[in-house]
Amino acid sequence: MSNREQRLAWRKTGGVKTLRHELPVTFGALAALGALVAAMSGDSFTLNILASTFLFAGLATAWNVIGGLGGQFSLGHSVFFAIGAFTVSNLYLGLQVSPWLALLPAALLSAVLGVLISWPVFRLRGPFFAIATMAMTEVLLSLSLYFDRFTGGSRGVSIPFRAGLQNMIFRDRLSYALLMLGFLAVCLVVMAAVTRSRLGYSLQAVRDNEDAAAAAGIDVLRTKLAGMAISAALTGMGGVLYIMYVRVADPPTLFSLFDIGVKMALIALIGGIGTIYGPMLGALLIIPLESWLRAELGGSIPGANLIVLGFILMLTALFLRRGIVGGLKRLWSRPGAAKGAGR
Amino acid sequence: MTGASFLQVQGASRHFGGLRAVDAVSFDVAPGEIVSIIGPNGAGKTTLFNLLTGQLPPSSGKILFRGQDIGPLRPNERARLGFGRTFQISQTLTSLSVLENGMVGAFLHHRSLPAAAARAAEALELVGLAKRAGHRAGDLTLGERRRLEVARALAMEPQIVLLDEVMAGLNQTEVQDIIEMVHTLNAGGVAFLVIEHNLKVVRAFSRRVIVMNRGKLLREGSAEDVLSDPEVIEAYVGKRRA
Repeated sequence: MSNREQRLAWRKTGGVKTLRHELPVTFGALAALGALVAAMSGDSFTLNILASTFLFAGLATAWNVIGGLGGQFSLGHSVFFAIGAFTVSNLYLGLQVSPWLALLPAALLSAVLGVLISWPVFRLRGPFFAIATMAMTEVLLSLSLYFDRFTGGSRGVSIPFRAGLQNMIFRDRLSYALLMLGFLAVCLVVMAAVTRSRLGYSLQAVRDNEDAAAAAGIDVLRTKLAGMAISAALTGMGGVLYIMYVRVADPPTLFSLFDIGVKMALIALIGGIGTIYGPMLGALLIIPLESWLRAELGGSIPGANLIVLGFILMLTALFLRRGIVGGLKRLWSRPGAAKGAGR
Repeated sequence: MTGASFLQVQGASRHFGGLRAVDAVSFDVAPGEIVSIIGPNGAGKTTLFNLLTGQLPPSSGKILFRGQDIGPLRPNERARLGFGRTFQISQTLTSLSVLENGMVGAFLHHRSLPAAAARAAEALELVGLAKRAGHRAGDLTLGERRRLEVARALAMEPQIVLLDEVMAGLNQTEVQDIIEMVHTLNAGGVAFLVIEHNLKVVRAFSRRVIVMNRGKLLREGSAEDVLSDPEVIEAYVGKRRA
């Protein structure tokens, strides 16, 4: 088929968005967040919240590659988060490797581990897969407590404060906010590239129907493993940034099922699972809200912030089944008719 | 025999416990041929399809495609060799658009999105779904879903397409459209293996018909001969009482 014919046939279909169509939107969103950081540059309280918002936005986006696009509902991503954190703590404290350089081995190690542990688990489908990933978290947490030479055991690791760009340790909060925004940028661009590629469509085909995907020539296992490797690599990088940000962390915190693994999935779910920008929007809603609730209610009524978050999740499940992005899309396509349409 | 080098089924069997769903079935398909498979419910037709496309491994017997034993190959590997199929219960990718369903098939031979989209659009044109390209596949009617599955198989540029009761639930016009489409593609060299209950369709399609009953190959021959065979009629409607 000639190029011209191809273009004609393509136009008839209304066109398919490629990465080139997507990137302006991605960079536009990032620029808006950058402007927000600039506007808040004097306010270190807000900058702190923005830093953790961007971190979780990136993590939820990373989760979305395999969890949303690929439909493999992992609740065990804290494993890769912890692997990244311990990779940098060992390389930086033990071998004086700059955390910037440690990002690469952390990502690689997470990807390799992601492939190795998902290989057997990917035989399971749906809820069974999710449960297996939860079990995996507990196993790896126990292992990490046992191998305390690398993880500090139950005491965890602490990274001394030596400010400097090459150490990825900063005095000001602004640098951390920008650092996390950079992480979100990497995650978003990777997610956009995957979504607008053959791999992205293969992942979605596998999510919708494994038999049909295989009959169309898709290697189901390889597709899932590729999605998991990418997702795990990004999550591992997130772990690196997290530990360099907080500088003190123990295995139970890093491997936390609820504060990391489930949270990544939850944010993606609330924002819009499988969409490029959904997890980012979910984090922009949830993380600041959570910090505010903890500050306002956490002292007087312990646990009240969790009740409110649970309530938000219920509302999302009832009224916005495709998350915030799904709700926005509906408003966009059918103004006025959106009320109650998602039930 | 020239057809021998295309698709050869040699004593293929599949047992589920004590049930011989497919029992030592042998036949050949020549390149560019249309072969219909008929038989009463439970005769083993769909199981035979699953053996051919790799959804199920055979218990015994061989399946050769262009002389290569494809028995150990998985479904996606057979797709790469040139097998396209539809499912008896339609398996569309419901969260994707109609066009994207076609693209998933087209990606087999086209890496880039625009090329796959163009190929998918052609396939949709062939099955008459071009106007629905932007719709979600989950919103299609049953008949449209069946045609979409055919389109996905065609987008793979297959050498042989296996249609599993693709006419079920379609209206007269749609049936006629698919018959014409199959003839068009067949003229271009694509072979078809068709499970079909509608004997009118079988006559329109095939020079050659295979009848299955209780897992076994009961008859093989021209549509006219096979459909007037007393044993075939008996398998379908039972013994005639004198």
